[in-house]
Amino acid sequence: MNASPQDATEAQVAAALARCAAGERAALRVIYDIEAGRMVGVARRMLRRQDLAEEAVQDAFMRVWRAARTFDPQKGAARTWLYAILRNSAISILRDEGRYTADEDAAETAAPMTENALARLPESSALRRCLERLDAQRRAVVVLAYVHGLSHGELAGRLGVPLGTVKSWVRRSLISLQECMG
Amino acid sequence: MTANDDRALAGEYALGLLEGEARAEAERRIVTDEAFAREVRGWQMRLSEFDDVTQPGTAGEDLWRRIEASIAVPARAAAAPSLWARFWNSIPALRAGAAAAAFAALVLAVGLGFAVQAARQQPLMVAVLLDGDRAGAVVHAFADGRTVLLPLAAIDVPPGRALEVWTLPSRERGPVSVGLMDRARTLQLQLRDLPRPGPNQLFEITLEPAGGSPTGRPTGPILFKGNTALAL
Repeated sequence: MNASPQDATEAQVAAALARCAAGERAALRVIYDIEAGRMVGVARRMLRRQDLAEEAVQDAFMRVWRAARTFDPQKGAARTWLYAILRNSAISILRDEGRYTADEDAAETAAPMTENALARLPESSALRRCLERLDAQRRAVVVLAYVHGLSHGELAGRLGVPLGTVKSWVRRSLISLQECMG
Repeated sequence: MTANDDRALAGEYALGLLEGEARAEAERRIVTDEAFAREVRGWQMRLSEFDDVTQPGTAGEDLWRRIEASIAVPARAAAAPSLWARFWNSIPALRAGAAAAAFAALVLAVGLGFAVQAARQQPLMVAVLLDGDRAGAVVHAFADGRTVLLPLAAIDVPPGRALEVWTLPSRERGPVSVGLMDRARTLQLQLRDLPRPGPNQLFEITLEPAGGSPTGRPTGPILFKGNTALAL
């Protein structure tokens, strides 16, 4: 594990967040310079469109600016907090059925989508190892919900199973995953 | 609920699978129930490995400028700083002393001027925000796209708290924050990224931590609420 560059980034983002809390706008720009590219990548992975991804990132930065004072470094990492906010912004856009048209281009099926996402994780990853222990379909519900932001309904559609089955797979997969990862 | 139920629920929240009331309930628990909040953070951390290995995209100056514009607004009327500067420079006597009183008077003047200017135009849509039968504020939506909140009553804001204004553009989207203020004041609401307010659209004011709701959804008590109606 080569953790030290990540630790340095984490420290920079945490320090910048503290300055945002004090109302320093230049500090938000510091976070932008460090993280915005990756944030656009993450949002685009879920929303598939550059314009929507940028909208999610813009919304996330607005929320970060407003909520910076509520971030408590004792309770968790700054980057985790940042990406949780981004995820909320992206999910809000995804679930807004009035305007988001899911890109059904993909006759892309669940199995390759899941395997592609898993293959990006390093071999040493506990998340990867624990997901690989699950049955293929039970692994898919967790991976596709997180990586591509699919809803319960969309998962049921992709996997061709009833909604209730998807819901119980998700819950059981999460419990196994937690037991495996600790 | 067993520990496993809560753990799975926290995981479903982190995955983004909770919707509507279930999602709002989980967000309330994150604020009020530290054990549950810890479960959620645990999942966010475990799953964030996927984010670390995602191919970055492009984030240019354009996007930054939009972000800068969107945070430039919050609790003050947009015109206030420049008016403030002009006012200050034009009356040298003010510089001599009584700065606090002058500032208070100025804020009031700017607020009133803004309110008068707003009132001169006829709004398209009006919402009166009530607590029972007490009116706390009125929201005016104008044809040029501006939407303004005008206070009708003083609102008691405890230290470390703020007033946040929300609207519900659609059930699917859920409540969206459109303004934040430290006390009841005239406030230009931020609806630029939303469809124009239609009739019967909910506006409400909640009490939140200073800096606004940590979750992006209302977490505190609703102080005033009301729905828009067409102004005749």
